[in-house]
Amino acid sequence: MTTNKTVLRTQNLKSYYILDVYGTKKVVKAVDGVDLEIQENEIYGIAGESGCGKTTLLKALYALIKPPLRLMDGRVVYTRGDQDIDIYSLRKDEIRKLRWEYIAYIPQGAMSIFNPVIKLKETYRDFLDSHISGKTEKEMLAIAREHIDKLGLPTKILDAYPHQLSGGMRQRVAIALAALLKPNVIFADEPTTALDVVVQRGVVQLLKSIQNLQRNTIILVTHDMGIHANITDRLAIMYAGKIIEEAATREIFKNPLHPYTQYLINSLPKFGDTGKRASTPGNPPSLANLPEGCPFHPRCPQLSEICKERIPKLTSTDNGHKVACWLMNGGEDDKNATSS
Amino acid sequence: MFVKKYLIPRLLQYFLVIFLGITIVFFIPRMAPTNPVQRTISELKSRGTYLDPAYVEQMIEDLTELYGLSGSWFEQYKDFWQRLFTGDFGISFFQFPTPVIELIKTALPWTVGLLLCTTVLSWVIGNVIGGMAGYAHNKRWSKNLDVIIMVIRPIPYYIFALGLLILFGYVVRIFPIAGGATIGKTPSFTLHYILDVLKHAFLPALSMVVLGVASWFQTTKLIVQNVNAEDFVQYAQLGGIKERKIMFKYVIRNAMLPQITNLALSLGQILSGALITEIVFSYPGVGNLLFSAITTGDYNLIMGITALSIMAITTMVLIVDLIYPLFDPRIKYK
Repeated sequence: MTTNKTVLRTQNLKSYYILDVYGTKKVVKAVDGVDLEIQENEIYGIAGESGCGKTTLLKALYALIKPPLRLMDGRVVYTRGDQDIDIYSLRKDEIRKLRWEYIAYIPQGAMSIFNPVIKLKETYRDFLDSHISGKTEKEMLAIAREHIDKLGLPTKILDAYPHQLSGGMRQRVAIALAALLKPNVIFADEPTTALDVVVQRGVVQLLKSIQNLQRNTIILVTHDMGIHANITDRLAIMYAGKIIEEAATREIFKNPLHPYTQYLINSLPKFGDTGKRASTPGNPPSLANLPEGCPFHPRCPQLSEICKERIPKLTSTDNGHKVACWLMNGGEDDKNATSS
Repeated sequence: MFVKKYLIPRLLQYFLVIFLGITIVFFIPRMAPTNPVQRTISELKSRGTYLDPAYVEQMIEDLTELYGLSGSWFEQYKDFWQRLFTGDFGISFFQFPTPVIELIKTALPWTVGLLLCTTVLSWVIGNVIGGMAGYAHNKRWSKNLDVIIMVIRPIPYYIFALGLLILFGYVVRIFPIAGGATIGKTPSFTLHYILDVLKHAFLPALSMVVLGVASWFQTTKLIVQNVNAEDFVQYAQLGGIKERKIMFKYVIRNAMLPQITNLALSLGQILSGALITEIVFSYPGVGNLLFSAITTGDYNLIMGITALSIMAITTMVLIVDLIYPLFDPRIKYK
């Protein structure tokens, strides 16, 4: 499915929350040296526990960095046509234009993301009006209606106020809105959270059909491994602000290399298996106070001395499978990593 | 459906509130330990007038009748409502024997004209600049404006008004120091007369608008800053919607909702007048009238003004309730 044309690249991306708690400076390393290379026309999944930096990573990719969050280092480069665009070198109005036309965002929890006092068609029209010019109100409404219809949603929702729709419908309206201008990259932050399984299925199918229709890249963040297995082409596992494993989704489920990923995969229930499933021991580390060495080492069952001292680098093994673990052959020091 | 389920119960509630309000206004002065008849007599006596005891008896009877104080409370109360429906609030004591309704009729246009303009004007200005300052609360101009308003806001109104009066009426004599129009001029719809009225109204209006704007500014700014943090505003920003559109359609529009209620309540309070303004500027409005009524113990006049004021406020609240769903679709008639 992948055409191997890169659409988004990051180099050593670091984004920290710098907090000032009663005079003491506190640094939360939410994104700590992430290198991504995401291809055109693929669904790329990012999985990890709550608080491992998934949402912050999306914010950094989308240039949504506002204090106390700060970009410490690294670049985010989009390929638009033959041009490479570093999003952090753009002017404010250029970023505004880039958003929705080239990159779109589906935020976490769509319950309150629509202006409560205007109808949804007004919201759609505002998005259209801010990005395309020379269309009358009627034409814009027609575009919105056609778009909604193509994605199989009822067009009468355009005449509704946000509070009149169910949570699942609101989520789908948000997803449809993200695809409105046929962006090349869509970021989806936990689009299935707080929905029941039946509605989750509808949401996943909507994402799939958008991808089928528009052939864009979808970057899907969720902690739900079931959703990842279902929809993503490639999958990255995030732990304590770092990508610790990345491979084609099937490959990761079949052959997880990192001990943390193994725990994640093994904790999933399987048909016919009634045995108790083991969970990862311990708790995720605080991003403000990371352990020395590999951040996973206090919970790792295959601990060796080196893990306590040095941070492993994300290294390729065979067929595009990358992992950051000292257990793997050729594990090397992460030179970019900051020792805490 | 709407009429039966919402409008009729709401109207019943409206009349009930007016009825209770006016009833309270009726009974409270009667429970007070002062007796207006005795008060009038003793006032006459204190001026040194000799009064024949038989004549005093007759006078007490006449005054009691005149003040509507004869008979039991219940009879008085019944009588009071009967007169109320014909717009008769009785006779004023302090401008005897002018009917109360006549006094109110003369004072009302001055007050309504002045306060309607100042209330609406301060609301509009305060909300617009407060809204913009709240949206751009990180900008330098917004912070500077905030400091200026913070200095103006706590100035006691009477000091501010008096300061304006001294400055522009006495030191620099640009504006007249008292009255609603130049004394001796007959009211007419000529440009000359209207300009004269505007000139007299300028200082009282300025004093109220400046402090009014300051107060609306601060509340609106606070509300806007809260709305700014709402998910739908953040979403519009990450969706690349144009700044102006976000500011007016997403932020200020939503921040306006509680302020619409506040505007209506302020408008309802117009009929009771702006007491201090009218006293400081000797403006011939309802506030001045009420002040005279209180200082002279003119119960009929106090009751007349209070009753009108109760009706005005409840009516404004009713209107807001009825039109609120137009502004906020989440509100339903229930």
